[in-house]
Amino acid sequence: MSRLNLRSQILHILLALLVGLGLGLVYSWFLSPVTYVDANPAILRSDFKDQYRIVIAASYAATQNLDRARVRLELLGDIDPVGELSAQAQRMLASGEPFDKVRPLAQLATDLNNGFASIPTPTSFTLLNTPQGDSVISVTETQTAETASIEETPTPFPTIIFEQTPITPVVAETNTPRPTFTPVPGPGAPFTLVGQDTVCVPGTQEGLLQFIFMDGRRKQVAGIEIIVTWSQGEDRFFTGFKPELGNGYADFIMDADTVYSVRVVAGGAFVPDIVTPTCTDPNGISYPGGLLLTFQQP
Amino acid sequence: MTSSNLIKLAIAALIGIALGLVYGWVVDPIEYKDVPPNILRADYRADYVLMVAEAYQKEIDSETAARRLAVLGGESPALVVASTLEYAKQNAFAQNEIQALQDLLTAMQTYQPQGNANP
Repeated sequence: MSRLNLRSQILHILLALLVGLGLGLVYSWFLSPVTYVDANPAILRSDFKDQYRIVIAASYAATQNLDRARVRLELLGDIDPVGELSAQAQRMLASGEPFDKVRPLAQLATDLNNGFASIPTPTSFTLLNTPQGDSVISVTETQTAETASIEETPTPFPTIIFEQTPITPVVAETNTPRPTFTPVPGPGAPFTLVGQDTVCVPGTQEGLLQFIFMDGRRKQVAGIEIIVTWSQGEDRFFTGFKPELGNGYADFIMDADTVYSVRVVAGGAFVPDIVTPTCTDPNGISYPGGLLLTFQQP
Repeated sequence: MTSSNLIKLAIAALIGIALGLVYGWVVDPIEYKDVPPNILRADYRADYVLMVAEAYQKEIDSETAARRLAVLGGESPALVVASTLEYAKQNAFAQNEIQALQDLLTAMQTYQPQGNANP
């Protein structure tokens, strides 16, 4: 009897403990949960993260401070910050946002991939005074800009002419030639088609029309607008939204029986009569292949 | 049930409540996801406003700047920038950053939303 009593007492105590535990959890999780007042950007809602990225890119467009933009993007806790930037740019374009609004995102993604700011601006020089390490970036930008635009002609060795007495050398040429400035085509220079190659790789996307745009130094160029037209419509898109495939890369899926024409908005290059090529595998079976168009500035 | 038993039950319930509170507040508190920017920590908030100010230096677009600042909560854009400017001065921001915030503050103080423009 007393054993039964003891067991019942323990059960009651356990029950009271569990009820108390439940009440405590209800209070701490629902009635008065931990309140966040010092949140970090990584837990922002996805639309606010998108807004945060837009502001980071806009700030970067103004300062060209790539290090700082990279650190700011890391705050968002994305596994692949560059991929997220590109994906957001594509989402914005798909939703009809103007390219001017999307360009800073694409530019930042491209520059993060390259590892340097592609458009040094005078603003970056004013940042030399800031103590956050901006000066390193600015100096690199300056060097890049100079090597890009100045092609130094090597200084020839002076020719020594010996006359009757070879004791005093006479230096025939004393003037060091000045650096020769090589004109570099501006961003608006026209692109011309330099390659049109059939791509026959079994297993890849059928009818894939790929574009690569390069400047005069064979460096890929982002942000080039391309218009593909066919009898029933047209599509507009830009290079640089798949930086993992190259900053000057863009692609388009062609239908097998449709004739397309391609126009590059900047410079007006026009390529008519593009059709999906037919490839043949080693077994003699035909399949739709792809096409690679390469454009380059002079 | 005797009073001593009732006391034992009450003590057990209190222990249970205490354990529940410790678990719910310390061991496994509610994890927040998808929060709005108005609860950002002060330094993140200041950095966000600074980015808006840096972008404004290039864009000179009060409308866009005000829209970007609006996500930080219900305060007026001028008030948001003013408090950030104060924070920047207290935390030794670079001179050009303070200048950018100052410019943005001036813009926000004179900014009239398009809907409120006089006819």
